[in-house]
Amino acid sequence: MITAGLADALRSIVGPRWVKQRPAELTAYDSDALPGYRATPSFVVLPASRDEVIAVVRLLAQHGVPFVPRGAGTGLSGGALANDAVIIGLNRLTRIHAIDAGNRIAHVEPGVVNAVLQREVAPFGLQYAPDPSSQSACTIGGNVAENAGGPHCLKYGVTLNHVAAVTVCLPNGELVQFGDPASERDGYDLCGLFIGSEGCFGIATDVWVRLLPVAPAVRTLLADFPSLTDAARAVSAIIATGIVPAALEMMDQATIRAVEASIYAAGYPTDVAAVLLAEVDGLEAGLDADARTIERCCREAGARDVRIARTDGDRARLWQGRKKAFGALGRIAPHLVVQDAVVPRTRLPDVLETIAAIGARHGVAVCNVFHAGDGNIHPNISYDASDHAQAERVHAAMSEIMQACIDAGGTITGEHGVGLDKLGYMDALFTEPSLAAMCAVREVFDPDRRANPGKVVPVHACREWGGRR
Amino acid sequence: MSAPASPSDLAARIADAHARRAPLRIRGAGTWLDAGRPCAGDPLDIGALAGIVEYTPGDLTITARAGTSLRELDRVTAAEGQWLGLDPAGAPEGTIGATVATASDGPLAIAFGRVRDLVLGLECITGTGEVTRVGGRVVKNVAGFDLVRLHTGAWGTLGVISEVTLRLRARPEVDRAFVVTGDERASLESRLAPLTDLPLAPLALELLDPALSAALGLARGTCLLVRLGGNAERVDAQQRALGALGDVREVDTAVFMRLAADEPSDALVARVSHERTRVAETFRHVLEFCGTHAQWEPLVRASLSRGLVRVVLPISSTRDDVAAANVDWPSFVRTIAPPGAHVSWERLPAEAWPHVPCAVADTISTGLRDALDPARVLNAGLLGEPARRADAVPRADARRVLA
Amino acid sequence: MTTSPTTSAGPSPLPTCALPDSPLAKAAAGLDACVHCGFCLPACPTYVNLQDENDSPRGRLLLMRRLLDGELDVRDPDVGTHMDRCLGCRACETACPSGVPYGQLLEATRATTRVARPVPLVARVVLGVFQREMLLSLVLVGARVLRATRLPDWLARVLPARLAFPFAMLASTTPARLPQASAHDRVLHRVRVRASQARRTVVRLDGCVMRGLFAHTNAATTRVLSATAHTVRSAPGQGCCGALHAHAGDLDAARDMARRNIAAFERVPDALIAVNSAGCGAMLKEYGHLLHDDPAWHARAEAVASRVRDVSELLADRLLPAAREASPAAPTARDSAHGAASSPPVRIAYDPPCHLMHAQRITREPQAVLSAIPGVELVPLVDADQCCGSAGIYNLVEPDTSDAVLAPKLRHVADARVEWLVSGNPGCLMQLGAGLMRSGSSTRAVHPIDLLDHALQAAPAERVGEPDLA
Repeated sequence: MITAGLADALRSIVGPRWVKQRPAELTAYDSDALPGYRATPSFVVLPASRDEVIAVVRLLAQHGVPFVPRGAGTGLSGGALANDAVIIGLNRLTRIHAIDAGNRIAHVEPGVVNAVLQREVAPFGLQYAPDPSSQSACTIGGNVAENAGGPHCLKYGVTLNHVAAVTVCLPNGELVQFGDPASERDGYDLCGLFIGSEGCFGIATDVWVRLLPVAPAVRTLLADFPSLTDAARAVSAIIATGIVPAALEMMDQATIRAVEASIYAAGYPTDVAAVLLAEVDGLEAGLDADARTIERCCREAGARDVRIARTDGDRARLWQGRKKAFGALGRIAPHLVVQDAVVPRTRLPDVLETIAAIGARHGVAVCNVFHAGDGNIHPNISYDASDHAQAERVHAAMSEIMQACIDAGGTITGEHGVGLDKLGYMDALFTEPSLAAMCAVREVFDPDRRANPGKVVPVHACREWGGRR
Repeated sequence: MSAPASPSDLAARIADAHARRAPLRIRGAGTWLDAGRPCAGDPLDIGALAGIVEYTPGDLTITARAGTSLRELDRVTAAEGQWLGLDPAGAPEGTIGATVATASDGPLAIAFGRVRDLVLGLECITGTGEVTRVGGRVVKNVAGFDLVRLHTGAWGTLGVISEVTLRLRARPEVDRAFVVTGDERASLESRLAPLTDLPLAPLALELLDPALSAALGLARGTCLLVRLGGNAERVDAQQRALGALGDVREVDTAVFMRLAADEPSDALVARVSHERTRVAETFRHVLEFCGTHAQWEPLVRASLSRGLVRVVLPISSTRDDVAAANVDWPSFVRTIAPPGAHVSWERLPAEAWPHVPCAVADTISTGLRDALDPARVLNAGLLGEPARRADAVPRADARRVLA
Repeated sequence: MTTSPTTSAGPSPLPTCALPDSPLAKAAAGLDACVHCGFCLPACPTYVNLQDENDSPRGRLLLMRRLLDGELDVRDPDVGTHMDRCLGCRACETACPSGVPYGQLLEATRATTRVARPVPLVARVVLGVFQREMLLSLVLVGARVLRATRLPDWLARVLPARLAFPFAMLASTTPARLPQASAHDRVLHRVRVRASQARRTVVRLDGCVMRGLFAHTNAATTRVLSATAHTVRSAPGQGCCGALHAHAGDLDAARDMARRNIAAFERVPDALIAVNSAGCGAMLKEYGHLLHDDPAWHARAEAVASRVRDVSELLADRLLPAAREASPAAPTARDSAHGAASSPPVRIAYDPPCHLMHAQRITREPQAVLSAIPGVELVPLVDADQCCGSAGIYNLVEPDTSDAVLAPKLRHVADARVEWLVSGNPGCLMQLGAGLMRSGSSTRAVHPIDLLDHALQAAPAERVGEPDLA
């Protein structure tokens, strides 16, 4: 287990500066972007290369010590929290090994920041499609671990659809490659299985991401609505036309006001119940027709006004406002709960009404900012944790909201991951045998359950599977 | 034994087989039984598990029993102006379960994604007879480990798929097909070069060799078969752009159905995959290889933007043909692909399979099989997997896949 | 170890404040806005270069929280290390969607920990000097004399890095020798000033380092303002703005200096206060916050602060973009005969001072000023929004980190291949100037006002009677 000798051995691998042990040094690593949770790691180790990662993981395996991989700590499910475990920070592995523009593949280290990759591939007329709202800070390794999405995954798909291969340091320190950057192969889709495994199957040390050409043309529309339900109806109508917008995002009034008060003010109208941000992209030909169809859907659903971004600056501002909305919610109250449910798209209007009713019944204010086109909602509640009665009400409201989403045929997380935060909802979503099968798969990668322990699948489910075998 | 009529029947059958260590051969419409390695076992017929479970057109998702045919899915969704966007080779009687289990896709994959990109959720019975449900019915979902991806393309060896939920697309407003022919004397590279810069976003873009072109009655030489979709303005603009590639002639979109369905069932079939920039090179290599086996009248096509070449070597009369040809199988199964490319064999004579490397022999794949089908009752031997974990390849071999 | 219950919405109960009445406790409301989103990480020069979340804004905010909660002690050396390492560039503030007032929190934290953990000797000496007007004048005179000997240029080259840098900084303040425009350029390329603007009265902040080592820039500022319909008056009695003291946590000293300046500027009521040093401008604009606990001075501080303008803010609406290509007036036959063709534009890059861009949020106006200068080409600078590592006296007290932050900046400047690197703050000019000098670069750092003044000296401004576009 954890001994003084272990710390020294870690220092000898990564250098003394890159092992953190004293209480103040561990502070920055005792939480991630999920508000309200804390767990203090035993150590923090910050390796600089694949070889150092392997050496660290091997050493921890020898000592039987659990570990938690961490990228930039921007996750919203508590997945990077380490309780009695060593944090392995991958933020120093920031090399972009190669950009193969012809084959549209980039080979990167896990600590490369999503936005940095975007910036580096842009000169080739290429983009990396997944664009989580935290893309300015989050890392590709973290995106792989969480199967990150983003506004534009409505058309382009999530991380799963854009990773060709990964090299993984298994929890025993063995290095394997899943998938192949150069060809499609038969055999089990281990790369697909690894993506979204939340650090429980090992650490990705190399990622080959697929790149797409930047769309030659784009139209961005902003529609404002007198009610959230009207906006939701517009979403259903747009989806039903068969047009696949590049993005279809919704924000309610509370969120709009928080954004407009921030440095990312985008010029959203603050006197409307909701805005819908819609984007279509692709070939120039026929794009205006698509934009007009979307405009018509919005107006028929009751939009007060629909405007189209005239310039790139206009468009960038509209998107900045949306992408920084989560952070801006910090202005409303000292504490914040963030959720990430997905419901079938036809259920959006009634689920949103149910959520509002639940909020009203518990006397808490729910803000909505979400990927409407996917049905991926983020009901957020701002509150003051020092008011214990209020905190209780928030907790109760969130549980009901999640149950309502499950009852509507939805799921508990569309892009944030289960982590610690949503562990309690897994039993409501999956049957026992399904959870047990997940545990069994996890044990193939990590028989000792040392990689990000206590996350994703409730522990009781694993015990049962172990018993059956 | 009668075919299971419900997932619980199916689970009971598998649990029983697990207890008795009696291998099962999974069967839907039976169109895939000649694919993969020789695989014996009691037939487990899931064809009766058919039908649409849930379809809300506005959600653009559909849930169906695994035994539902592709034809039925197409019929039901067409009534709502939607489709699956999946056109794998084979008869439309083929089932969605087999399509997912074998991860079979077709020309439309360049626009709508491969099977792994389209499956949202599964009900799957493990090798111990446990009914598991993974993924979900919504289009975005990261709850739990992604066993959907694991079962997709696992050929039933990790569990029997009994139900699937899939993402649907609206059928394009306009859907047209075009054949592009050009100067046969020019090199393939120079003929395809303009593609890089053309304003094209086709639904499908296949390069067909002269034999396949002729078989479909499209052209005398190598041709491009293009499918364009979207609103009229977008399709018209792209049609004009195609002119840069050669002579453009419109054909009925039904040609794509024929391309899939008319593939000879008694054939040797391989998919050769390489970097997209090398697709012309791969295509040429495969054609040259086929030239040495001209007696089988090979048919070759390539999904250009995937770098994927599909080769069909029809066995015209009897299997004696193959024996008579006295093929050097170890060389045959390897040299069809140029160096650096990967070949996935779908169908081969039994005597050839031992020469094809097993794709699931690594420790993780073997471990997964042991975890989900510990008695190895599901399609045993179909993927050439090692017999037991004890015999699993040594660690050094697992590292074979290293960068 | 405190992990919340797995599905609980609430954090662990909030502890009572361990540092009641401390400056940090008074600023604590600002901490509540932080939702830990981490968007500040890539904006932070110390995180980007040191790769440790302890050296990120979010990490420091967590440390502040723990100090308040009593989980960490104000004497904890690690807390001190990571607080000291902050440049105070406030780039995190322009990245923060939640509006966390990071700069104020940092100053409050430093003021709180100062009690237990005095600032380093070198910092104390420097701050002590800046606090004493006479002593400061003496030191600056000495520095000018030393600079005139050219000795610092030599010392900057021969001494080991740590010792050489201050001399390089001093040497870099030598007034820049700007190129002489050809007669032809002088005719074709003139600064164009809007003629229709109403005359404004301004008073110049003389500053301390600006007055001592950048007297030429101060003089240029007066000339440029006069040329753009400003009446420049003087405000005797003003001195150092106190920014260095506030950043170091010596808020009392900063307040004393603020009061003196407020009194000085009150003597010239109604005049806008023109500042050519971004760090000082940021400080002056925050006098209201600095003195918010002082009932006698708070309103006066707010009133003075509201009159403060960066010099670029004053100039932006008075200047028109320079003609970039050949002038619309075709070269005369005589020009051609003399072969006096227009020389290629001089490549320049703009490195915005953090206290202009992040603290004052001024980005458009300096660009407008630079685009008014004829004969130059503004080349984009990668990561221009990142700090250069100067940060007041930071480069003297945290030389290693300062070097680490400066290194990528110098690389990007080299990649831009420019003759002039423009920045409107004395600290940045000295840091960049010294860095360029020691790296053997031919690029020189220059204040934008010096460049503009040079153009105006070469040829008088052209008055353009363009109607107001607003």
